[in-house]
Amino acid sequence: MIKKIILNLLMITSSVFAHSAIMSCFDNGDGTITCEGGFSDGSSASGVKFRIEENGKVTFNAKMSEDSEVTFNKPVNDYNAVFDAGEGHQVYIKGSDITE
Amino acid sequence: MKKTILSTIAATSILATSALAHFQMVYTPNTALEKGKTIEFKHVFTHPFADEHTMDMGKQHDTKKLSNVEEFYVINKKKKTDLKSTLKSISFKGHHNSGKAFTSKYKARKMGDHVFVMKPAPYYEANEDAYIQQITKTIVNVAGAPTNWDAELGLKAEIVPLTKPYAIWEHGSFTGIVKSNGKVVPYAEIEVEYINRDVDMKNNKMGKSRVEAPQDSFITMGIKANKDGEFTFAIPKAGFWGFCALGAGSDKEYKGKELSQDAVIWVEAKSMK
Repeated sequence: MIKKIILNLLMITSSVFAHSAIMSCFDNGDGTITCEGGFSDGSSASGVKFRIEENGKVTFNAKMSEDSEVTFNKPVNDYNAVFDAGEGHQVYIKGSDITE
Repeated sequence: MKKTILSTIAATSILATSALAHFQMVYTPNTALEKGKTIEFKHVFTHPFADEHTMDMGKQHDTKKLSNVEEFYVINKKKKTDLKSTLKSISFKGHHNSGKAFTSKYKARKMGDHVFVMKPAPYYEANEDAYIQQITKTIVNVAGAPTNWDAELGLKAEIVPLTKPYAIWEHGSFTGIVKSNGKVVPYAEIEVEYINRDVDMKNNKMGKSRVEAPQDSFITMGIKANKDGEFTFAIPKAGFWGFCALGAGSDKEYKGKELSQDAVIWVEAKSMK
């Protein structure tokens, strides 16, 4: 029984650390940006936290949709799009790197 | 007597195999994109290692008019998009001659796997007095998130990958299953070829060759699937490798002539620089 629990714990641990968080964003060309989130094991990012940071301040908070996407108005200032799936699973993309 | 008939059949099929070493290319220079971008394809029917002869796609035996591509589409996640209208006719220059081919552009914007499928019109191979139709898959990934690269599409002839075709290191391997209408094709005959030339995307032509084959059996490598239609190939060099399961498809005749309906898949290995 104990062996089984340890084995299960090991499996859970390996599954958490075996994948990495991924995000890709594009400019829709209509003043909005869409970011898509995901994981290297193909699992959904639905419900994962997402935010926009401008000059270190959070100016937009959201959660990834059922399709693992979020669309927001393009900020005027320099910004970072942040996909936040927890410690060690955060992805930052600079606004200047997001193109059409 | 039975033995003689069997040997004759075997000899015929070996001859046919060696004569049908053509590959439908659905080529784009990078299948593992760091982020979304517009990509360009060259759709060329050729012999990618030796580059001996570039075929006119859609050639028929009964008319000089070339037949149109039957299908070209992409599937990203579960969304299928028809891309036939994006195909532009070009003349593609191989080392020995030029052939009718196509170019196309696609905005690979969404994250994940973009599975491209091309079903050209059957091509009349005069040397064989038979037709060849190669249903071809090329898979491009955006940003590294896997979505639908392993999807089985239920094609008449299909190689279903068990290895991500865009995420293979040089000296890695590729495993796939040969299927026809969702059913495995046991002991399928598979030809493997390396694109042995730089593809000049701008000028629609092949560049200089990279390696020399020590003998003909290294140009088109013949392998066989196992009883479950599964095969694995160790990839010796970075670049593009084509796998073609000969005659795996369910259609066996076209315009009253024999048809080899093949399944092709392209994989790209990256060097460990």
